[in-house]
Amino acid sequence: MPVTALRAVSKAQNGVGAFVLQCKRLDFHYCDWAGASRGMKSFIAHKLADFAKANPQIEITVSPRPNQHPIIRGSYINGREKVICVRKLDHLQILQKAELLRNSSGQKLKKFSKPVKSMNEGVRGIFSPYHGEKHVI
Amino acid sequence: MKRIRCSSSLCDQFLSSSRQIVPRPRITVTAKGPLLTSHTRALSTTPVRSQYYEKPINPYEPAPGEPLPRARNPLNSAKLAALHARLSLHPSYPIQTLARALIDQSADPIRFYNNSSLAYLGNSLLGYYGAEHFMCTYPRLPTLVLKSAMAAFVGPRPLAAIGREWGVETAFEPTPDVDAGLLQFKRLPPGTTVKGHLRPARSEGVPEEEAMANFVRATFAGVYLHEGVAASRQFFRQHVMSRKLDVDQLFNFVQPTRELSRLCAREGFTPPVARLISETGRMSRSPVFIVGVYSGQECLGQGHGASMDEARIRAAVNALKGWYLYSPANPVDLPSKMDVDPAASFAPAMIDVGEVIV
Repeated sequence: MPVTALRAVSKAQNGVGAFVLQCKRLDFHYCDWAGASRGMKSFIAHKLADFAKANPQIEITVSPRPNQHPIIRGSYINGREKVICVRKLDHLQILQKAELLRNSSGQKLKKFSKPVKSMNEGVRGIFSPYHGEKHVI
Repeated sequence: MKRIRCSSSLCDQFLSSSRQIVPRPRITVTAKGPLLTSHTRALSTTPVRSQYYEKPINPYEPAPGEPLPRARNPLNSAKLAALHARLSLHPSYPIQTLARALIDQSADPIRFYNNSSLAYLGNSLLGYYGAEHFMCTYPRLPTLVLKSAMAAFVGPRPLAAIGREWGVETAFEPTPDVDAGLLQFKRLPPGTTVKGHLRPARSEGVPEEEAMANFVRATFAGVYLHEGVAASRQFFRQHVMSRKLDVDQLFNFVQPTRELSRLCAREGFTPPVARLISETGRMSRSPVFIVGVYSGQECLGQGHGASMDEARIRAAVNALKGWYLYSPANPVDLPSKMDVDPAASFAPAMIDVGEVIV
């Protein structure tokens, strides 16, 4: 019987060919009455249009959230959400928070102990004691 | 290998948005009733309409000059604009085509509004680019492995995965008032069998995977039609071929030693002989044998194992993979290169005699 084949599905490597930004949506919520939203309202009035223009790949929504703290909610391609409360922050600090959400991958934060993580096997191969010069005691 | 070229008439055919006007056979009415010709008899199930029949008003008809119904609002959808930017599509790729790519056949049966024709073209292109890549890069790949490798890149499962990785969300129900940036398809009832002859008709619903794969195919066809051949090749390279798959993991040998002997006989090599290269712990609970298969003085492959038989089989598999996974040293010219620039220099690909018949 000749060779047969196994079924497999190729794995994505975002950024190897095309790069798809992982943040797909940012929701800006503010309160019209409370003072904690003053920076947020200023951000929406003066900075948000430029931010949206600079990041066309993100869907941006603005909606009131009365009697609550102002928040930014980021939705990601992996299905997760990240929320940052921007209570009492000024518009420049809020811009920083929005950029933080934009640059995030949506993954849970985790510590990388190894400098390199790769799907490829090592180019040097695995050491074999049975090949090459034998060690003589 | 089939070449596909896009002429302006093909482009019109795939993107034509106006309803096709089918000339109705003329019906003469007498006192006895309509005299049906042989042609009209076949159509007799359709209600007979007068010559001056007016089309009913459809709220979802497109406005003049617009390819999609107004109700779908492709230009007002933030999701659609974001998706367009996320895929780095050229401004010459209209938002309306992307909106149409998101409408499955099960959501809208009118073929001028759904993505069926685009998905058909996209599937042909993906198959063409995938096949030429593997046939030129690995000219000795056995047919089944070639098919499996292509399915791993341009089959429905990887294509649906690509669609999800683009951040496309699905609409709960394909009503015309949903956001145009959502994938619109009719869902199957839970527990429906989708494989084999029990599969329900397409109009009753499709699995999410199939709808998503069709969207990716249709998007790809849109790149080809609006941006051209060079852009579609680049789009394929960036979004499909950039994915990771080890082709050597796809082989499933049944009788590798026998296959290797047949291969050596066919190619006129000295019959392969397995020789023990190294060993340790023969009488212990964890012995290791290193065996090589040799054709004359030439070592074709090596393998290790806890028994000499296992090591010998691994060595034969290693030798066969070395043969089947041959790839030309320099990057090969793919035939689709000539679609971009017919005057470019082209080195023909190697064509192998085929796999060993055991």
